[in-house]
Amino acid sequence: MHYLWEQLRQAIPLITHGNQYVLAVTWVTIKVAVVSTVAATLIGLPIGLALALGRFRGRRTLQILANASLALPPVIVGVGLLLLLVPRGVLGSLHSAFTLRAVYIAQTILALPYIVALTPAAIQGLPPGLIAQARALGAGRIQLSILSLREAKIGVIAAIIAALGSALAEVGAVIIVGGNIQNHDQTLASAALAQVNDYANYPYALALGIVLLGLILLLTGLLTLLQQRTSGIHLRFRMGT
Amino acid sequence: MHLLWQSLRQSIPLILHGNPTLLSVIWFTVQVAAIATACAAVIGLPIALAIGLGRFHGRRTLQMFANASMGLPPVIVGLVLFLMFVPQGPLGAMHLNVTRRGVFLAQTVLALPYVVALTAAAIQGLPPGLISQARLLGAGRVQLSTLALREARIGVMAAIIAALGTTLSEVGAIIIVGGNVYGYDQTLASAALFEANAAHYANAVAIGIVLSGLILILMGGVGLLQHQGDGLRLRFRPAE
Repeated sequence: MHYLWEQLRQAIPLITHGNQYVLAVTWVTIKVAVVSTVAATLIGLPIGLALALGRFRGRRTLQILANASLALPPVIVGVGLLLLLVPRGVLGSLHSAFTLRAVYIAQTILALPYIVALTPAAIQGLPPGLIAQARALGAGRIQLSILSLREAKIGVIAAIIAALGSALAEVGAVIIVGGNIQNHDQTLASAALAQVNDYANYPYALALGIVLLGLILLLTGLLTLLQQRTSGIHLRFRMGT
Repeated sequence: MHLLWQSLRQSIPLILHGNPTLLSVIWFTVQVAAIATACAAVIGLPIALAIGLGRFHGRRTLQMFANASMGLPPVIVGLVLFLMFVPQGPLGAMHLNVTRRGVFLAQTVLALPYVVALTAAAIQGLPPGLISQARLLGAGRVQLSTLALREARIGVMAAIIAALGTTLSEVGAIIIVGGNVYGYDQTLASAALFEANAAHYANAVAIGIVLSGLILILMGGVGLLQHQGDGLRLRFRPAE
């Protein structure tokens, strides 16, 4: 255990004294996680609402597809995206391969399935009749959407937290499209991987890992707190009895 | 669309003609997924049964821990394992870094939380009274466990499929522990990453297609299970 302890002792000051590199990577990671989750939410919520509330043909097929995309290996997303972004690719004119922009795009694509699949699940878990009654009372699309988002807010927030979690921890796609270039487009997870495999710099890897773990624990704590509050949540919209 | 199309066209023969490198990576991936998941099931099912059926102190804490560890970034798991396995580390004598055995081990550790957390959840989701009645009727631990696993089998299968899914698509931990050595300890996922970064796009696409195929087969399994779930009948009914 002596060796591990030694590495840990060297890692702690990097965090407590705010090592430039660790701080920079942490900042990039938070930016990537927040921006890609916000983008995924903006794109995904309308789709999720349509899947949950819509009454069009093919809704079930689309929902199965959304659920399946949760299981898509990030590596495959990375390869597909890279082939689009390299100079000879369709989107090559964007000059995005091996840049931070590619990392943003990859993480947004990976976060999207969480929002699109988990939001309808949360809305469909609402008390039966809630939506139907609102509809019968003449609520329009926008009113229905606001109602279902408000009532299913715990589930929707859980979906957003899941998306944030994947944006924080994921490496497969990020390394493929970003190239894992130091001081350029590394997140905490990909930087920790590079510090071990490329530089054998274990205290740095540990420091990055500890910060990442801290962020994940923060998210998990938030989710638990929310779930505990769920039992005490009141419906603002009650069905007449 | 030119590059994408070209890579796709070059990748198809690699799959159809059974490129030897590709075949060996597929074989290793299937081995890793099967063995790691089997190990995780052998270790994890008793723990899940203890959480689902046990009445000991700290049961809830254990379950929270299992749930949380499903969200643990694989990179962190890989990092900790790697540091245990370096020659000076506590498990250095086992020489596991940059070996296939290290990859098996890392994937087992990553698959374990899925087996434990999802099986425990499935057992707790059984109709209330089922377990307590069996207990009242004098079922012992082994009988209770058999009953719980049999009744919650759809959930248990789903847990095992989820574990298989991670072992197939996960890269963070195995790249750190295994070093992603070409022709030695690459799985389909880590090989796809390797080939993409080496700009061998046709290889990367071929690997990606095979990996998608395996994942689709698994997803089909989930779909089938969910379908069966609706028609599932309890063999053991609580008296009314």
